[in-house]
Amino acid sequence: MSRRTLVFFVCSPHSRTGATTAARLLTDYYLSRGVPVEGFDTDSREPCYALRFPGLSQVVDICDVKGQISLFDRLLVPDDTPKIIDVWSRSFDQLFATIAEIGFLDEARRAGVEPIILYQSDSSQMAASNARMLNTTWPDLWMTVIHNEGAAPLGPEALQILAQYPSRGKLVIPRLEAAIAQSLDDFDFSLSAFLQAPPPTMSIVVRAALKAWLLPIFTQLQSFELRLDLQSSEFLR
Amino acid sequence: MKPTVIVVGADKGGVGKTTIARAVLDFLSLNNIQTRAFDTETPRGTLHRFHPDETMIVDLTSTADQMKIIDTLNSSQAKVSVIDVRAGGLSPALEALDEIGFFDAVKAGEFRFILLHVIGPSIASLDEIAEIAPYMTDANYFMVKNHVNDTTFFEWDPQTHAKYFEDVNTTGEITIPKLGELAYEQVELAGTPYSTFIANQTAEGEPADHSFVLRGYVRTWLARVADEFERVGLLDLINGAGKGR
Repeated sequence: MSRRTLVFFVCSPHSRTGATTAARLLTDYYLSRGVPVEGFDTDSREPCYALRFPGLSQVVDICDVKGQISLFDRLLVPDDTPKIIDVWSRSFDQLFATIAEIGFLDEARRAGVEPIILYQSDSSQMAASNARMLNTTWPDLWMTVIHNEGAAPLGPEALQILAQYPSRGKLVIPRLEAAIAQSLDDFDFSLSAFLQAPPPTMSIVVRAALKAWLLPIFTQLQSFELRLDLQSSEFLR
Repeated sequence: MKPTVIVVGADKGGVGKTTIARAVLDFLSLNNIQTRAFDTETPRGTLHRFHPDETMIVDLTSTADQMKIIDTLNSSQAKVSVIDVRAGGLSPALEALDEIGFFDAVKAGEFRFILLHVIGPSIASLDEIAEIAPYMTDANYFMVKNHVNDTTFFEWDPQTHAKYFEDVNTTGEITIPKLGELAYEQVELAGTPYSTFIANQTAEGEPADHSFVLRGYVRTWLARVADEFERVGLLDLINGAGKGR
């Protein structure tokens, strides 16, 4: 089986759809399994993702060529370390324009790097049409939709809305009760550390609820990772 | 294939003549057209720095150097000769070529002559056209607007445009797109042809350590420049299949 270095662009053209949460969950998923990861946050104004992972992430301004060099030149290093990019909604257009302009996807494949889009769904037509446009432009680019039921609920039309996304599978992040969600706000709170040893001061109820929320998400990510591994297997093509 | 001389020039300085000459050399090389180049920026040529293997530094007003160029047009394996004329040297260069009978040979169909006239943003650039017009009767004249250094061009009033161009038959107009400052600067520092920079190699052919992002920008820019050269039929012209002279 030939392993490729995975690069995840967690993105949405709209704010508050849960992209940072998804990037955080993915990062903590790898860390909980002892896999080192490298993160990038394209929101230079409020880098909430980078602030959570200070030792392993950096803020990059992709409107600036120097920022683009910091990001894309690093992403092309095939070192088996998964790279996770939390794409700020305001840099969504710039990101894909740059990817097109510099020919990043072709070079990535040549270098043994597999770019993956984790696209946050929302109820707008524009989000789905942007996803279709990306798929039309780059049909070989792996895209999986993430439906965050708390940040961007789709309502009773969820299945029809998700069907509009040209996605290879979807991941669902269930809604978390506000009282429990509050425990996630602290920048020093690590989900991977929580799974290994919950803080003794944490309420047993919160602890149980958080585990009940987190474990199914990590199980989905594990299945997703397995699927990616199978996809990259030369023997199964 | 008839020997072709491509002169890249302007009387005004700082309009990016060498940038265009370099792009032409890369374009022809990528299309497998053997080309030689002459740099008239004596004693130290800029074009020569980027393309040392195929470029010779010459003084167009010296008889010995004129012979090196013109007398070898037929015998040289390279059927295309690109002459990068230093700033302010276009009119004297054309005058010198005229004196040695080069334009008579072009008229007789012995050689093909292409002028890439790189114009600056001001209308003063257009005054050059009046000076070079007498030599353009049998030439293929291309006006080149170079945006590589973020130059902006005014929209010419059609009457003004017609007035300046009444004595020159324009074969086409070439627009060179902008290249980001950092990418432009890094290729300058590398001192290699654009294609070598894109291939991440040094001038000696060793692996280089150029940023992929910058190489990507240069690759896209060079592809757009090549599209422009294709659009105006430069290759067809050189191969004798175009509508030019």
